[in-house]
Amino acid sequence: MAAPLELSCWGGGWGLPSVHSESLVVMAYAKFSGAPLKVSVVDNTWRGSRGDVPILTTEDNIVSQPAKILNFLRKQKYNADYELSAKQGADTLAYIALLEEKLLPAVLHTFWVESDNYFTVTKPWFASRIPFPLSLILPGRMSKGALNRIILTRGEPPLYHLREVEAQIYRDAKECLNLLSNRLGTSQFFFGDSPSTLDAYVFGFLAPLYKVRFPKVQLQEHLKQLSNLCRFCDDILNSYFRLSVGGISPAGQEMVDANLQKLTQLVNKESNLIEKMDDNLRQSPQLPPRKLPTLKLTPAEEESNSLQRLSP
Amino acid sequence: MSLVAEAFVSQIAAAEPWPENATLYQQLKGEQILLSDNAASLAVQAFLQMCNLPIKVVCRANAEYMSPSGKVPFIHVGNQVVSELGPIVQFVKAKGHSLSDGLDEVQKAEMKAYMELVNNMLLTAELYLQWCDEATVGEVLEDVDQCCQALSQRLGTQPYFFNKQPTELDALVFGHLYTILTTQLTNDELSEKVKNYSNLLAFCRRIEQHYFEDRGKGSSSIRSS
Repeated sequence: MAAPLELSCWGGGWGLPSVHSESLVVMAYAKFSGAPLKVSVVDNTWRGSRGDVPILTTEDNIVSQPAKILNFLRKQKYNADYELSAKQGADTLAYIALLEEKLLPAVLHTFWVESDNYFTVTKPWFASRIPFPLSLILPGRMSKGALNRIILTRGEPPLYHLREVEAQIYRDAKECLNLLSNRLGTSQFFFGDSPSTLDAYVFGFLAPLYKVRFPKVQLQEHLKQLSNLCRFCDDILNSYFRLSVGGISPAGQEMVDANLQKLTQLVNKESNLIEKMDDNLRQSPQLPPRKLPTLKLTPAEEESNSLQRLSP
Repeated sequence: MSLVAEAFVSQIAAAEPWPENATLYQQLKGEQILLSDNAASLAVQAFLQMCNLPIKVVCRANAEYMSPSGKVPFIHVGNQVVSELGPIVQFVKAKGHSLSDGLDEVQKAEMKAYMELVNNMLLTAELYLQWCDEATVGEVLEDVDQCCQALSQRLGTQPYFFNKQPTELDALVFGHLYTILTTQLTNDELSEKVKNYSNLLAFCRRIEQHYFEDRGKGSSSIRSS
């Protein structure tokens, strides 16, 4: 546990520490289990093999694939599941299978196969983090890999029209999201009060779907209706991945502004005084904020001004 | 099945009660039927027995070609044909029979999750073993062990996965485990993995006796002590 653990993974955007589900699963698990990871983001100066990312490197080991990385971390005593019962451990396995079979195909499709999404968002994003000329080849390869993975889980391709498969996988994904929402209910995490492996997986699969801005958004829209799942993602982002001020993405900044606006309105409703101050500021933008009129006036004028203040 | 076709089938299904001559078609036993198909067929049979719906099993060499979707097993009910456990569960539900109605939303989610686990791990194992892919046997056996461990823990000392009443999950698990335990393979390791879990063995025996032998299929029913 003294040996440094370095995780190479795809980078973040849209308020996420990573836009890549598998990378996100590992990052979340590391946070939950307290594993001290040094995260190095894959950019176009990175020299390793990109097909296997996320990759965990220690002094004597190189581990790839989220399940194997998590196993490795557990063996190093970074275990987010030690409070789970045997039954909860079994449930974890079952729900992960559900995620991989029912949700993942549609997530892959949204990112890598749906043309509008792939060409306007996914491909440019990944290509900018891959050096030329690999940037011309690798995204396409990742896209084909995603399509193959989808077809593999769905069975015999020649018998199906691709559109039928697409309808099926989105239907399955929506059902899976509903099931997850039902299972989570009003709890903060899936098992008790502290996050475990299952929370890492759900977060990893859901967060990119929730946050990345796509042109074709049917699955995203469905997810946004399941408010407890959205709350689940936001809670984890805020508690474990709070970005520094410099690190707020444009989308994050917009949200901050919108929240600020809402807060301002709320305060205005509660207090006429603040509203009046706003008014004063707007009317005379060049001048420094005026002190309250009552402070400098004679008693007679003070009275008439306080009457003025009371009017809406 | 496309969305529209499924809705259509459900409507027609609801109209008619379950006939006496419902038939299940599968491939010939012995050499022809694949491990995975055998498991699927047993799962459907177990499910229908649990629902108390009579079904006659017919083995045909060309069962795959008879099936409109190419998948086996399929059931022929009235003038409708439905294949695979998932759609068959839906079809049966449209006719007013369900094993999982008594479950709450969380339990239903759990049930579906465990069914995926079984599909993911046991089905994969069966497929690999059928085609004798030696290279990955070690990994596959590990997955099977993990899956059985999870199932064993989930089942605990209960008679069925959701305590007293069997559901489609019990049918699916039975189909796969029973197939693994009873099919002669060159490699015994798969069935040995399952045999490590005594409650799973007891589970299979229980379903076999209650839903298959007791229904007059076998000559005599042997109750375990």
